[in-house]
Amino acid sequence: MRPLVFALCFMLFAGCQPGETQSDTSFTFVQPEHFPPATYDFERNPVTEAGFKLGKRLFEDVRLSSDNSVSCSTCHQQAVAFSDPQHRLSLGVEERVGTRNAPGLFNLAFTSEFMLDGGITHLDFVPINAITSEVEMDETLENVVAKLRANAGYREAFQDAFGEDTITSGLMLQALSQYQNMLVSDRSKYDDVVTGRNDAAFSAAELRGEAFFKNNCASCHAGVLFTDQSYRNNGLAGDGAQDAGRSLISEVGTDIGKFRVPSLRNVSRTAPYMHDGRFETLDEVLLHYRDGVVSSSTLDPGLEGGIAMTSDEMADVIAFLETLTDWEFVQDPRF
Amino acid sequence: MKTYSLYFFLFAAALFAFTGCDDDDDISPVLEGGTFEVEFENVFGPQDNQRSFSLSDVGSTDYGFTNSMGQDYNITFLRYYISEVVLEGPDGERFEDPMSVSATGAEGYYLISADDPSSMTFDLENVPAGRYNKISFLLGVDSTGVQEGAAGGSLDPATSGMFWSWNAGYVAFKIEGQSAASAGGASGNTIENTNDKGIVFHLGGWKDIDGTAFRNNNQRVTLEFDTNASVGAGLEPTAHLELDVDAVFNGPETTIDFANSNVNVHRPVDGADMAVNAAAAFRYDHIHQ
Ligand code: HEC
Ligand code: HEC
Repeated sequence: MRPLVFALCFMLFAGCQPGETQSDTSFTFVQPEHFPPATYDFERNPVTEAGFKLGKRLFEDVRLSSDNSVSCSTCHQQAVAFSDPQHRLSLGVEERVGTRNAPGLFNLAFTSEFMLDGGITHLDFVPINAITSEVEMDETLENVVAKLRANAGYREAFQDAFGEDTITSGLMLQALSQYQNMLVSDRSKYDDVVTGRNDAAFSAAELRGEAFFKNNCASCHAGVLFTDQSYRNNGLAGDGAQDAGRSLISEVGTDIGKFRVPSLRNVSRTAPYMHDGRFETLDEVLLHYRDGVVSSSTLDPGLEGGIAMTSDEMADVIAFLETLTDWEFVQDPRF
Repeated sequence: MKTYSLYFFLFAAALFAFTGCDDDDDISPVLEGGTFEVEFENVFGPQDNQRSFSLSDVGSTDYGFTNSMGQDYNITFLRYYISEVVLEGPDGERFEDPMSVSATGAEGYYLISADDPSSMTFDLENVPAGRYNKISFLLGVDSTGVQEGAAGGSLDPATSGMFWSWNAGYVAFKIEGQSAASAGGASGNTIENTNDKGIVFHLGGWKDIDGTAFRNNNQRVTLEFDTNASVGAGLEPTAHLELDVDAVFNGPETTIDFANSNVNVHRPVDGADMAVNAAAAFRYDHIHQ
């Protein structure tokens, strides 16, 4: 059985309270067995149906932006694993161009540092960045809270979710985290194969691609999450000048041009690629690793000289990467 | 997870075990102790020659203060976080102010805002009876507080004006104003970059990042009293502490030249020296018994 219910602890405590209704587990965070343990502290903020639904409503609400034009889901769309297929650099209020490409959102409960530079170390705080960024939603938290408080529907929804009649930024952030924590992507063909579900098996090309990937890519795109969560420079041309990446946070020169290794789950859905969305296809990405790696003082040593691969190997790797697409996730009616 | 939240958890668990399912409040765990009041006052100048401090209006060219370099300035915004307060006494007394963070509140984290007189004083409760001659606190909010996630009360980012979103965490100390010597261009809570005399110093940074320079700018401040403050039946002392605003700009670590230094500080590395100054700018003034 997959479900390892995180709310266990919570339930232990709540056990004595009279009139406790059995909540539907489809709105409970379920730890996939083949994943590392979640990093989010669910004791502080357990997912409930009312909290999740409130979080979804907030995620899709343009009230979170200054001119009521942009919601989280403007830049993070479910059909493409909550990334943004339209814009190389994200586009916020008044068509303001951001500095980075909007990444897909999934398996956030297993992530401990967010953003491509790791500037945010708690999922609860991520929306503050989006809301207050001038090139994203350009709003203040204070105003968002005021807009929500003025809305009877929200007052009721917060009451249902948290039993609090006063809407605060903290509760809003917790609701958004409940929604985002539920965005677990663990139902791809790859997952079926590694867990032995549905009699799934890789094709010959996928198997060859997996072997190539393990030898050449998995040192960074590691484990079932396909990221070791470290910061690395993968040799993109002109990085340092354009976006200092991790060094914006660590403030050391040795981190210039390093970005958090992204997960490659759902990667066939999340184009364009890299922090600035410079590549439109996976072919271009592989050509970069083969021919385009630029040497610099911060280039990851493992990528010096690029990664040699034949066009057959490229096709195999792409076949393997496609097994990471989680169709149930991108079509899940709960999200 | 730091120990205090673990203790809290154990305490809650124990409480639960004792009270079981009947939810009567008859066994309330009363901790014997009294109140110890802590009062902050922002002042200008050294203890033997100090002047009162007040905030100026944004845009004001009335410069009430002069720094050690002879540059005139005023202050429009001054806020700082005090947390992890500890009292100690000559006979081994020790009191640690309990701390906790939830989505709707924060205990043990105090935001001192020059623009809000009520914020200048706070009470430490349930301090065990005894004598105390030392107070220490953290200037800032450490990683434990940050990693609790969504927070309310004094930490609420919607109202505190003290949260960094891009390098997420609480800024320990913010001071903003205007100086005749400044070339402007700074921007902060009260100062806009069109203000041609603006000065803005946001001193934050709480992370210890492996393998990089140490950029945790939260400083621990220890102040000794010249007398014992007694807590007990009918004894509720107040410790009066001061921050010398001028010493923030001219302290052990750096002297800020409003004409030539960086007067638009927003990065941990840029604020590191000034954070040491700020911590050293606190002093004990007197105990009111
Ligand atoms: C204007 C487009 C835009 C909007 C609106 C937006 N985001 Fe994002 N989001 C981005 C971009 C771009 C990044 C990557 C930023 C970076 O790395 O600095 C990002 C990153 C994230 C991440 C981090 C993902 C990771 O793996 O590190 C999360 C979580 C997230 N956004 C959630 C939200 C939420 C919640 C909202 C609404 C409150 C929101 N976003 C609104 C563009 C947007
Ligand atoms: C040395 C570490 C390293 C190795 C080895 C490596 N990558 Fe990456 N990869 C990265 C980093 C770091 C990024 C993010 C760069 C950025 O955002 O600018 C990245 C980005 C990507 C992306 C873009 C993902 C997105 O959503 O934008 C793809 C696809 C990718 N890598 C595939 C591969 C494949 C396939 C291999 C093996 C052929 C490989 N990588 C080898 C570190 C590595």
